[in-house]
Amino acid sequence: MLKTRLNFAIIAVLFAAQAALAATPAPKADAAQKQELSGFAAKDMPYDKGEAVLLTWPSGPADVPGASYQVLASSGGAWQTAAELQFPADTKLAADFELPFWAWDRRAQAHAVQVELPGLFPDFKLGDEYKFKVKYVNGKVTAESPEAQAAPRPNLFNLARLNNLVLLVLITVVFFWTVSHAKRKGGLFIRRIAGLDAIDEAIGRATEMGRPIFYSTGIGGMSGVPTIASTAILSEVAKKVASYDTQLKVPHYDPIVMTVCKEVVKQAYTEMERQDSYRDDTNFFVSQDQFSYAAAVDGMIHREKPAACFFIGYFMAESLLLAEVGATTGAIQIAGTDQESQLPFFFTSCDYTLIGEELYAAGAYLSKEPMIQSTLKVQDFGKAFVMVSVAGGSLLLMAGTWFKWEPLVTAIRQIFKAY
Amino acid sequence: MTLIKKHIPLAICFIVGLLTLSTYYIPTKASENYIEVMNKWENIMAGFAFLLGLFSLFFSHYNKMKRKVDGWGYSLFVFVGFFAMVIPSVLSHGRQMVGPDLTGLGWGYRFLFNALSGTMFSVLAFYIVSTAYRAFRIKSAQAGVLFVAALIVIVGKVPLGQMIWETVLGWTHVGVTDIVQWLMDVPVVAGKRGILMGLAIGGIVTALKIVFGIERQYMGKD
Repeated sequence: MLKTRLNFAIIAVLFAAQAALAATPAPKADAAQKQELSGFAAKDMPYDKGEAVLLTWPSGPADVPGASYQVLASSGGAWQTAAELQFPADTKLAADFELPFWAWDRRAQAHAVQVELPGLFPDFKLGDEYKFKVKYVNGKVTAESPEAQAAPRPNLFNLARLNNLVLLVLITVVFFWTVSHAKRKGGLFIRRIAGLDAIDEAIGRATEMGRPIFYSTGIGGMSGVPTIASTAILSEVAKKVASYDTQLKVPHYDPIVMTVCKEVVKQAYTEMERQDSYRDDTNFFVSQDQFSYAAAVDGMIHREKPAACFFIGYFMAESLLLAEVGATTGAIQIAGTDQESQLPFFFTSCDYTLIGEELYAAGAYLSKEPMIQSTLKVQDFGKAFVMVSVAGGSLLLMAGTWFKWEPLVTAIRQIFKAY
Repeated sequence: MTLIKKHIPLAICFIVGLLTLSTYYIPTKASENYIEVMNKWENIMAGFAFLLGLFSLFFSHYNKMKRKVDGWGYSLFVFVGFFAMVIPSVLSHGRQMVGPDLTGLGWGYRFLFNALSGTMFSVLAFYIVSTAYRAFRIKSAQAGVLFVAALIVIVGKVPLGQMIWETVLGWTHVGVTDIVQWLMDVPVVAGKRGILMGLAIGGIVTALKIVFGIERQYMGKD
């Protein structure tokens, strides 16, 4: 952060020369003038991992078109520079830094240059001190700053992400409050979600028809939140399947997801006291290639004509390939994904689609456990917060624009931006 | 047993969850190294898990063939396809090209695998038509709005449609491309953002549930 006001100082003679150059057509063409550039400072680059240095020096009337700066760095030996460290004099200002107002003073009338040291010095070592200087060139007029030293060091907190952290803390506090509230009181009203209510209908239909149920978790890995949400729904589906003694088939794209789902389904059968009905080949690996997976699952759906298909998790282009084949077999289809680009395909090909956060609410909705259900309240608080923020932020932005109060507009924009 | 099956996994999940979260706010080299190590571990585990997947695949199809279930012949193709790719790749030491020539693996990849993947992808075009037909059946007022919006977008994106619009509705001095742009920029983006915001909040809450051990169905519960 630029807390100290730096005094711009290309010596008065330099400005005089500048003015003279601009005013007179040809002042002593071969008389080179070398001056000193003051106010130059080097310090550790804030909010980085410790590989960069921040150089600052005052900007001023000498930063005219045609003039340029060159930054030089040294680890003790020869001076080094790079193409990005030579730039026009009216660029690389403090105001150009993409950092929020609470972490950076964009109003400072200064140049600010971030120098990435590993790019300049292949033998860069954390903690070593480096020397820097800057040269000003405008035709025959040149100026050079005194040397400044700085040692980069890693920073323990990225202050630019403070807004994000505050929001996270807020959500976490609400999260624990709702969980403790659920423990004490329980009883939470949850609106009906048609797609999830239809699960019973789909499984009942499969039982009556004596046909299997297909459940696909998509092509996401276990680290993906939609896949985790999908395993929670699979657990509830498997419990119902176990109680109805219907056949469940879960083809997998990812072997890790398969391993997790095996445990989930096994546990569901155990909870329903139907271990005897559990089959180890309920979950099976198909392929780790998107279209091979789609082709194989399409083939199985086409041949086995399931009574119900669940497509819940992370889906891309294979969403339509799977859902459309399922639709042609007449199966009840329930889908849900976090990929908004695939939702239209599911809307048109499936009977029920879980939209947006319904995917994440489904596990809680089906589990009926007060602790898990209470977290739905956090989602509601989150949505309320977003609504208030959107409305309040829009009003403030409009007010700021109307009254031409630029700092307010900038502040609002930066508060709601991810850094 | 509870310690191994419940407490230790929950503790690992909690610690790793918090550490991973903190790397977003702590910009040190240690954070970067931690993420790198975790990614490496994920890859190593995925490698072992892939073996499990392969066994599962072979086991399931071998059983189908053994029991001669309906369509067991397809299971045979799993083994044929597997060896048709693995044997050439072993013989060509995993290389697809030797100089300008394709190896057996390269040939199989280019002329079998790519062709089959391309075929599956191109099937999408036909499915989109049948899906669009189903979507455009006007059963309600909302479906009517959807149909009109979609029709305008289709007309506006095709040169022939633009010509027809100019001929029929040119007197209105409203360009179809402007309407399409407005539809894509305003109602479409508004809907998308609504869904995205819900998803983002749902994702955060799900992550918190897992980190703090409230949601544990992914590890087979208690």
